[in-house]
Amino acid sequence: MTSPEQIDNMGNIKRFNAYRIIEHYALIILFVILALTGLPQKFYFLKISQSILVLFGGIDNARVIHHFAAIFFTILIVQHILANFIGIVFLQWRPSMLIAYKDFHDSVHNVRYCLGLVEQPAMCGRYTYKEKGIYWLTLTGGLQMMLTGFVLWFPITVTNYIHGQVIPIAKTIHSSEAMLLFLLIVTWHIYDSVFSPDVFPLNKSIFTGYITKKQMQKLHPLELLRQKEDAQEGEEKTET
Amino acid sequence: MIVLIFIIQIAMLLCLIPYVSVSTAQNVSEKEINKYCLSCHQKKGSVKKFLEGDPFSVYINPQAFEKSVHRSLTCTECHQEFSDKNHPDRVFRNKLQYSIKESQKCLQCHPKRVIRTRPVHEEIFKKEKQGGATVCTHCHSPHAGTRITGGTVSTSEELYCMKCHSKDNTMKFTAGKTISTKVNVDSIRNSVHRNIGCSDCHFNFTAEDHPRRRFRAEREYRLSSFEICRRCHNDKYSQVSNSIHYSMISSGKLNAPTCVDCHGGHEITTAGRSRISMVKTCEKCHSKPYELYAKSVHGSALLSKNNKDTPVCVDCHSSHSIKAASASDFHDNIPQNCGICHADKKLMGKYGLSTDVVKTYLSDFHGVTLELHRKEGQKLNKKSSQIAVCTDCHGSHEIMPYSGVDMQIIKSRLLKRCQTCHAEATENFPDAWLSHYKPSFAATPVLFIIEWFYKILLVIIVLGLLFQILLDIWRHIRNR
Repeated sequence: MTSPEQIDNMGNIKRFNAYRIIEHYALIILFVILALTGLPQKFYFLKISQSILVLFGGIDNARVIHHFAAIFFTILIVQHILANFIGIVFLQWRPSMLIAYKDFHDSVHNVRYCLGLVEQPAMCGRYTYKEKGIYWLTLTGGLQMMLTGFVLWFPITVTNYIHGQVIPIAKTIHSSEAMLLFLLIVTWHIYDSVFSPDVFPLNKSIFTGYITKKQMQKLHPLELLRQKEDAQEGEEKTET
Repeated sequence: MIVLIFIIQIAMLLCLIPYVSVSTAQNVSEKEINKYCLSCHQKKGSVKKFLEGDPFSVYINPQAFEKSVHRSLTCTECHQEFSDKNHPDRVFRNKLQYSIKESQKCLQCHPKRVIRTRPVHEEIFKKEKQGGATVCTHCHSPHAGTRITGGTVSTSEELYCMKCHSKDNTMKFTAGKTISTKVNVDSIRNSVHRNIGCSDCHFNFTAEDHPRRRFRAEREYRLSSFEICRRCHNDKYSQVSNSIHYSMISSGKLNAPTCVDCHGGHEITTAGRSRISMVKTCEKCHSKPYELYAKSVHGSALLSKNNKDTPVCVDCHSSHSIKAASASDFHDNIPQNCGICHADKKLMGKYGLSTDVVKTYLSDFHGVTLELHRKEGQKLNKKSSQIAVCTDCHGSHEIMPYSGVDMQIIKSRLLKRCQTCHAEATENFPDAWLSHYKPSFAATPVLFIIEWFYKILLVIIVLGLLFQILLDIWRHIRNR
């Protein structure tokens, strides 16, 4: 999407390729399944939790589904890390998701902007500091969930090698991290991609792959600038 | 010869004289004969003596006689040898001999075949076969006896029944065994049922009817108590009908207890009797669990110190609605059962025990799964799988105090418990269990720090996100 050809008939700019769109769809489905089968176990005493688990055919079935979803989630995370590692190291993908000093600066700048201390909002690149934040929290959180989930799924195997207290530790991390990720997604991500006046009623770019020029200008001005420069140079680069 | 014939004729005529004179007297005083007899017999203090010396009152109460079933009879209809003209002086050895003799007269109007229709008379005829005598007047008063139907035979039902049931009579079962029908009247008077009558429980039995029932064996007879007790205690009966004891009986195991086996029969006392005796009641059938219980922390406190805080059998198993210990709904309810005491801060405080045991169990893997299974069981109609509850680790009847026991011994025992479900568990595995305590910095520092880290992080993240969202909304409002 870094070349001018990647603009559709409506003048929208291509932002994500099919790989990223599928990854995001898979993540949505797995997140919903894992949250629906997992959180009721944390809040087992609530009536709604019991109703949800009954929909899955009871706690035993819900756990089987949770485990299956966890396998696919692990595959998703592992392939994502591998693909991006290979892409960045060997295929010269641009590491646009890496957190830089500018992101901290942008976040402070935007707080100042919101408070009316500066005139213009921060100029963001391909990914805003908010998007980077949610990405890294989800990725690292996902890794923690994978590891602790494995301990909880196979406690006997794990305690063959490690002290038994790893199990309550894993349980605490798994359940707290789940809560953290859930709150992150339902508050920040949903606000940022659905309810924020910048994108309302929905930021469709991750589903269609395209973003309007107006939105691009507003949310990712530096990326638009870079694309223009790239187009001028006629170079082709693969995005991450 | 002629003289001889004349003498014989005269003699025959003389023999007829009494009959003629009696019949003449009856004709004259048939209506008046009772008055005539009573003119002497209503005087109090008329006493005759038997040969053996016992005095015998010949007094007749005219008022009682007028109310009696025999009021329409004349005295001479029974006392045929007596008349206004003839009052033979008879001699009897004692009262029994006299009574036997007089009872024969009853049979003239009350033939044996009629008397036999009342099972209550069966005992009497049985004795007759063995050489005993039928003495009607032992039970029935001839001059004051009222109608049995609707009449008051005795001053109270108890006295009436106890006429026979205070004696060493027996009842025989078709299988051959006999039991005594003797009732200790004092035991009834000391029981909770002291204010109700015999027929309130023995409802088929009245003063007019004593049905003859046939039971193959004593056990069958005892089982019939269900029907007696349910008439008043139907709530308990319906609980019992869902119990393991009742289902055992239904499946032919007749030794399972019925009401009277636990509560006793005539001597039944209030439910709040001594807790030790409650335990002893169960011991009658469940001696092995009792032995274990007696040595346990609970049982020894009860039996040696009569500690009323400790649970007895029925506190955990319940009484009437008792379930099989292997039944899933009993098993799944064990944490709640133990929690009745072990979650009671005041009670546990007396013994320095933590109430966290219940909370930590309920929020851990086993507790959560069990709780969800319980709730789902109702909705999905699924049977609960056997999740470890308190007794699976601590034992049940044999439960011992953990204080003073070396932690390593506890862990090695615990591993064995874990291995009953998690066969491949190694010695590291029991460390997953936090000894029923909330994580603390001293005992489990890593876990404690992680817990607090996430608690603080969650608050910061949520507040941070809300701050971001509010700022963003504020900016949009300001930009308009």
